[in-house]
Amino acid sequence: MLPLSLLNTAQGHPMLVELKNGETFNGHLVNCDNWMNLTLREVIQTSPEGDRFWRLPECYIRGNTIKYLRVPDEIMEMVKEDSIRQRQAASGGNRGRKWFSWWKYWSRRKQRWKL
Amino acid sequence: MSERGRGRGAPRGSRGGGRGGRGGSTFAQDTKPKKESILDLSKYMDKKIRVKFNGGREVIGSLKGHDPLLNLVLDDTEEFLRDPDDNRLLNDTRSLGLIVCRGPAVILISPVEGTEEIDNPFVQQE
Repeated sequence: MLPLSLLNTAQGHPMLVELKNGETFNGHLVNCDNWMNLTLREVIQTSPEGDRFWRLPECYIRGNTIKYLRVPDEIMEMVKEDSIRQRQAASGGNRGRKWFSWWKYWSRRKQRWKL
Repeated sequence: MSERGRGRGAPRGSRGGGRGGRGGSTFAQDTKPKKESILDLSKYMDKKIRVKFNGGREVIGSLKGHDPLLNLVLDDTEEFLRDPDDNRLLNDTRSLGLIVCRGPAVILISPVEGTEEIDNPFVQQE
């Protein structure tokens, strides 16, 4: 289980993000990328001291400022299912694509060499 | 002489491999997904946004421009001041006007509209 694939699976779910400076953000994950940059919806921001709170409609967080993320336990099960599904899709899709590129190569070669 | 000859030969060799390379590049083209930013900044154009920077500075300004590296142009920018003793954020601001924010220094972007300070929302859950 890779951290980023877990995060991908957690899209649409609530989570807590703590930044290096101690601020925390509770919200629903909308999107994430390979740098762990996140966009969250319906966010509650907490100051590093834990004494001030803000409600934000949405926010973008840069991945390299994140200390850790807390995700719901259910995500674990979903990651397993997702990875199985992806592996099946990838192997099936790849086979098709490989066959197609082979076919394209030969048909071009036939044309060029007038076989 | 022989050194030069080999030097001339090298590009020809690579050109010969070019056909295979071209086939490879089309292959790479269909496998590589088109990557785009997870944040659409154009929806914040001319809107007030709050930007936090690496190091703790925090500003509010209206977005006038942006690029994929997250460099931003902000107008009518106000920087929030901090307590000189304990570095806590105050509600006082100083005016910066028109600024360019360097993308790599930006750690947080959120719209000002709809943002409000609230009482502790976690108390009743404990």
